[in-house]
Amino acid sequence: MDAKRREFMVHVAQGTAVAATGAMLWLYMLRQEARAHPFALRPPGALPEQDFNAACIKCGKCVNACPYDTLELAAAGGDLPIGTPFFIPRDVPCYLCPDIPCMTACPTGALSPELKDINDARMGLAVIDLENCLSWRGLRCEICHRECPLKGKAITLETHPRPISKHAMFYPIVHSDACTGCGICEKACPTDEAAIRVLPHKMVQGRIGEHYRLGWTFDTEITQDFRPAQPAAPSAPPAAAPKRAPGMDYLNEGGL
Amino acid sequence: MALSRRDFLKTSIAASTAATVGLPVAQEAAAAVKASEAGWQWDKAVCRFCGVGCGIMVATKDGRLVATKGDPDAPVNRGLNCIKGYFNGKIQSGKDRLTQPLMRMKDGKFDKKGAFVPVTWEQAFDEMERQFRRVYAEKGPTGIAMLASAQKTVQEGYAFNKLFKAGWRSNNIDPNARNCMASAVAAFYSVFGTDEPSGNYDDIEYADTMVLWGANMAEMHPILWSRITNRRLGHKDARVINISTFRNMSSDIADLELIIKPNSDLAIQNYIAREIIARDAVNWDFVNKHCVFATGPYDIGYGMRPTDKYAFAAEKDVQAKELRVKLDKYEAIAQRRKEGEVVEQKNTANPAAHWLISFDDFKRAVEPYTLDFVAELAKGDADEPLDRFKAKLKQLADHYIDPKRKVVSFWTMGFNQHVRGTWVNEQCYMNHLLLGKQSQPGNGAFSLTGQPSACGTAREVGVFCHRLPADRLIANPAHRAYTEKQWNLPARTLNPQIGSFYAKILRDLEDGRVKWLWVAVNNPFQSHPNINHWLKAAREMDNFIVVSDAYPGVSAKVADLILPSAMIFEKWGVYGNAERRTQHWRQQVMAPGEARPDLWQALEFSKRFKIKEFWGEQKVPGLKAEGYEDGKLPNVLDEAVKMGYSPGATLYEVLFATPANRKYRWPDPIAKGHPNSVATLLGDGWFPEKALWQEYVPFTRGDGKDLADFDVYHGDKVRGLIWPVVDGKEVPWRFNEQYDPYVKKGAGFEFYGKLFKAIPRGDLDKVTDPKPVSVAGKAKIFFRPYAAPVEQPDANYDLWFCTGRVLEHWHTGTMTRRVPELHRAVPAAVLWMHPDDAKARGLKRNDLAWVESRRGKIQIRIETGGRNAMPRGYTYAPFFDEGVLVNKICIDAACPISKESDYKKSAVRVYKA
Repeated sequence: MDAKRREFMVHVAQGTAVAATGAMLWLYMLRQEARAHPFALRPPGALPEQDFNAACIKCGKCVNACPYDTLELAAAGGDLPIGTPFFIPRDVPCYLCPDIPCMTACPTGALSPELKDINDARMGLAVIDLENCLSWRGLRCEICHRECPLKGKAITLETHPRPISKHAMFYPIVHSDACTGCGICEKACPTDEAAIRVLPHKMVQGRIGEHYRLGWTFDTEITQDFRPAQPAAPSAPPAAAPKRAPGMDYLNEGGL
Repeated sequence: MALSRRDFLKTSIAASTAATVGLPVAQEAAAAVKASEAGWQWDKAVCRFCGVGCGIMVATKDGRLVATKGDPDAPVNRGLNCIKGYFNGKIQSGKDRLTQPLMRMKDGKFDKKGAFVPVTWEQAFDEMERQFRRVYAEKGPTGIAMLASAQKTVQEGYAFNKLFKAGWRSNNIDPNARNCMASAVAAFYSVFGTDEPSGNYDDIEYADTMVLWGANMAEMHPILWSRITNRRLGHKDARVINISTFRNMSSDIADLELIIKPNSDLAIQNYIAREIIARDAVNWDFVNKHCVFATGPYDIGYGMRPTDKYAFAAEKDVQAKELRVKLDKYEAIAQRRKEGEVVEQKNTANPAAHWLISFDDFKRAVEPYTLDFVAELAKGDADEPLDRFKAKLKQLADHYIDPKRKVVSFWTMGFNQHVRGTWVNEQCYMNHLLLGKQSQPGNGAFSLTGQPSACGTAREVGVFCHRLPADRLIANPAHRAYTEKQWNLPARTLNPQIGSFYAKILRDLEDGRVKWLWVAVNNPFQSHPNINHWLKAAREMDNFIVVSDAYPGVSAKVADLILPSAMIFEKWGVYGNAERRTQHWRQQVMAPGEARPDLWQALEFSKRFKIKEFWGEQKVPGLKAEGYEDGKLPNVLDEAVKMGYSPGATLYEVLFATPANRKYRWPDPIAKGHPNSVATLLGDGWFPEKALWQEYVPFTRGDGKDLADFDVYHGDKVRGLIWPVVDGKEVPWRFNEQYDPYVKKGAGFEFYGKLFKAIPRGDLDKVTDPKPVSVAGKAKIFFRPYAAPVEQPDANYDLWFCTGRVLEHWHTGTMTRRVPELHRAVPAAVLWMHPDDAKARGLKRNDLAWVESRRGKIQIRIETGGRNAMPRGYTYAPFFDEGVLVNKICIDAACPISKESDYKKSAVRVYKA
């Protein structure tokens, strides 16, 4: 392995170590193209995108109900179904009204009345561009953390010592279990292009295989009353051996 | 070492994480950045904002400021900045930057009721001079005043100080630092006899326990906070204790958090002292050799006006307490009196008086401060069980007393902006001195400053109504004589009567005593408490107010004449930070339009006046001093003539462009080609910033405050120097023989400050033997009692209100609100309150509410979450937002000793708007 390659692998390992601290970190690579992308951040309580588009009658009542002029209606010619509500957090984020006036105004349930607590809204998920986040570079910014309406839950700060400079690092970390996607962080981010952005969950979130559980997240005591599976019902013995059986191709064909 | 400091920037985890997705992209980007930097010229400078004093590097190209960065070689911040520091490069370029003098005019003439119209500098100074002469003729030296600043450069502070005190013979010049760290100064004087901390920021890396007393360092000293955090994380025994009236961001790192009632810090300090004695933990060797015990009067008032003539009707009940106070049950126990006793405030005129007491008296005085008493008095969070709070108090005492632990106490505005600010500062030293944990690496009480040059400009230069350069006092005849000699003035030129302090200048404006006011580098009409009074005084009284500023703020709005000022990188300057580090910078770019440096404004304006106009006899109402006729300043003009001055000489020639100063020529190779607007505009060939620095430094030398020569600080390798600089060497810990050459050999420690070192003897209540006793070389351990805040919530105004800052904004926001990114991040002030308190008033997050006090009311949005968590009964709002003038509601009570306003304790009611 050449030196450069090895250095790269070390970096990968370090990156993994940080990511494994229980946080939702994802490098957002679509920086400049974001505005043109065919996705929409929907108002709080919105049904999953397809159901939402089916249920929304484009009446605009949610837009009128929003006291902050957060919501807009999609215009013709864009990628979004015309007349559906969405918001661009960098312009005006959702300020999480406790009485959820947009949802209350919705006549069809496209903004579902199942949403009882605004903090349970999941409009999107904030992601941090680690390369351009000032706090991740060591500056004392952390505006996203302080301005987050769910500070300490949706965005936490992780502190790391840094002996060489005698100054600790304060890393903002987004937690998907609490982030509402309101976008106040994106609005507040002081970099020229926001280094924290809200994206639809499906564009951001990975999923660990069903076959595996993280070792520290479940109690795994050895089961004391182990119940073996019932053996399958005995079938009639085969009349004759099959013509083919697994493995025979490899075993029989080709050389060594 | 320098290399490795730079390397960390490259090898940080953040960079390596990014590398996982596109090393080639990162390399291309780096190459593009490199190309765009072609032709950039870098120079060292200092951050414009807080008292931490981070070093930065500034890049310019073609006369434009193109970038800044944290200076990797700066020992304070080692390449880092906070989010305000990150925007140093943008503060000078706001869209509404003032570039032309503006004057209120009607029909082509100045008119107080006119509208602002652009004028030339000549027109501006003409009117300013005309008004000055009118007022000076009517009122003499007491009729003029300046509200100065701890954000002026050292040279600006020095020049204005000299112009006022030596030229115009007026001591009415006082800085906004009065409202920032005057309490700290008063305690440095009374305890040590000399101003400014013993230690330096390296204390952090030696300390085991760091205690924050009313200092939310996580937001207000961001870079020091990352040092503290680093110490906490990197040293297994390090602990952080946060003491505050509400939960703030510093609690995120704290191991122990005490939420306390306002003013109860006074009781907690005495509880610790009582524990030190009870546990037999007094460091007797240290105390016997280096300390004495002292106390002073309790009946000193609250720094309010002694009359209710000017009070609003609703203010009168609280104002009356300035004259007499009924003791509550806690004060009664704490002051060994009876509950309900009415105490006449007899010592408002001389609140700083103090005398020696015995240790037995001291011990008797702290005896009432038992754990039970203090816990009941101090517990601030109604929802916290008393037992838990008691356990925390005990742990706090354990940390201080543990002989194996090094302890640093940090404080800022929680202590300083306090009706007993001087006392609580003194108490902090009390415990460090009792334990012998002072003036050693990692051990000491460390007063942090808020502003970038509170130490360097306001304090060291003595830009106060009672001070002269380098710990000298107006009231001290020897200090005046020394200053007159240094300034080459006839004896008795200086006015021996202390001038009006900051709040008093505004009160003088209200009652017509001051009629000509110059405001520079501060924004009193937004930042001083109880502004409804001062706004009205500015606009409705017969006076002339000049505001030098870079942006149109509230003070400019109520001014009569606005002078456009150059900003930090548009002039040469010096700032001195909280660890006694003096940092110089060169001018990098030119100010826009007609904006000009404040130093030029002082010097150019001084050309319009001759010494004969001021150095004759002057009336000064109330002047009483030995060697002076009552009510008069003597004629010193004849003496001046004997010294070789012509009566027609201008103040400019006599005070500034002196023959000695003219020897410092401009251009000077130390500039390395950088411009100098002041020298160029004056155009007479001298280098004012260097000359004034060199004129100033002899004041500091030989007395333990030694500063180095101008050129030394401009050396490429120097990143500021911590004074005293003796034989080219900094003194990292003062008063400690190991580090400080001013300490007598073999003494170990010596508190050699000279002020207030001869005091009478007495008992806890009074002086018993007025003959002064010398306590030279010693520090004083003060007993100071608990006293209740002068205004407290009641049935009418049922909530506590506290104001302060947020990380994103600097003071009144004139600079940071011009940075679009910072404005976007925190566009408006909000009122933090407990969700239950909000609910009880029918309010929820983001609702608009009225906050009303005895003094005024404001509209503000409610915040029940976010960065601060208020206990029930407490509210907080920052003061940066000119759309929400919180100082309309703040009380202008103050520490009677330091005259520093208490912004932290007003009573308000909150209701839906």
